[in-house]
Amino acid sequence: MATQTLFEKYGGFSAVSRVVLDFYDRLLDSDEIGPFFDNTDMSKLVDHQTKFIASLLGGPSSYTDEQLKQLHTHLDIKDPHMDEMKSVLAGTLTDHGFSGEDTEVVMNELEARRAMIVG
Amino acid sequence: MSIEAINEQLLRAIGVGVALLDAKDLSFRFQNDTFVEWFNPQEDQDTLPKLLPEFDAEALRKELEASKRFTAEVSFRKKRRSMIFAADFTLTSEQEGNFIVLVCQNISRIREMESMIDSYSMMVERNTREIKREKEQVEKLLLNMMPRSVYEEFKTFGVVTPKLYDPVSVLMLDFVGFTEMAASADPSVTVSELNDIYSAFDRIGEQFGCERIKTIGDAYITVAGLPDPTPDHCRAVANTAVRFLRYLERRNQGHPNQWRCRIGIASGPVVGSVVGIQKYVYDIFGPAVNLASRLQECSEAMEITTNAVVKENLNEQFMIEGRGMRKIRGFEDQEIFRIMDSRKGVL
Repeated sequence: MATQTLFEKYGGFSAVSRVVLDFYDRLLDSDEIGPFFDNTDMSKLVDHQTKFIASLLGGPSSYTDEQLKQLHTHLDIKDPHMDEMKSVLAGTLTDHGFSGEDTEVVMNELEARRAMIVG
Repeated sequence: MSIEAINEQLLRAIGVGVALLDAKDLSFRFQNDTFVEWFNPQEDQDTLPKLLPEFDAEALRKELEASKRFTAEVSFRKKRRSMIFAADFTLTSEQEGNFIVLVCQNISRIREMESMIDSYSMMVERNTREIKREKEQVEKLLLNMMPRSVYEEFKTFGVVTPKLYDPVSVLMLDFVGFTEMAASADPSVTVSELNDIYSAFDRIGEQFGCERIKTIGDAYITVAGLPDPTPDHCRAVANTAVRFLRYLERRNQGHPNQWRCRIGIASGPVVGSVVGIQKYVYDIFGPAVNLASRLQECSEAMEITTNAVVKENLNEQFMIEGRGMRKIRGFEDQEIFRIMDSRKGVL
């Protein structure tokens, strides 16, 4: 039998949607990574965050490495930006009741994609 | 505290943005705290067009003249965040002149939620399509393994009850010298040719209402009269057998690899069922299966052998030749017959 994904464990879309919107808020409020979204259309950004969180948690989406690379290639993202993003996400997940262990799993997933995002 | 003071307090603190505009020049006369917090107007932004340069002031004027009310969706970028407001304008006439009451509701979160639901439903719909496609592939695969009615039973109940089919006709085919062929020639070529031949057999069988049950290496078993009873099951199988031979003869004329087979045909009852729990196989069991196999062993290359039971049910369409009494392992001694293609030489 397939093991339960984090997406399912933490209550599916109804719960994850709150994580997505909170994460979206925190990203925009962050002065370190917020500027990357200065000219991004709201619906595009929400769409991206929804897919991003869903794919990290094993929900019904998946960004291929190619897609991730393509999405970030025009942005001048450096390692500190990526670190800040990770810490914002970790904070969001913790505040939404994710266990330390599960947050760690998500962080590892994210770390595995660093090369696609930082360029 | 006077009622007026309370009113003003309320107006300032309420969760909707409220502003009062002079109808003449659209300059601000009042802004409540929420309005200021949302739009953060600067000193020089003392009129609505200055605060919201993209706002269509002309449309506002026209509509207010006509109906005294105007509603619009206003988007405003605060820092990097897109904020979206439902703005409601009402024209009022006072002693001091005409004013516009502007009431704004922050609908950013609603729009964000909508975007998220759009995004999510698109993901889910795509997944649903993929699952549907996979399901169809699985169904196709299972339908290759068992008759549709059996599959439907399997799908509904999760199990298949063994079912007796009586009578049916079983065709058993085996290739002559296949083992040597597979060993001597390139095995992948041999198997790919076998695949072509089996596919052709399937199509031929289908034309006559035969249901292929299985193949075991170079043995091919097909049945008529199952899952739906067929009165002329003997004829269906005999017709199929004759066409199998015709197909192979024609194929052999143009191919370096010669495929020659033996066929046995027998009628009788069989039980059909899905066997196995982890690995499902639809199979048939019964004397007719064994007899067809024994009769096939009596055939020479490119011959069809059957017994009296089947022969009685075949009409003059077929040329049938008696081959005398034979000992058949596991069965009574019986007379066997060779079915020949009456169109031999016509092709």
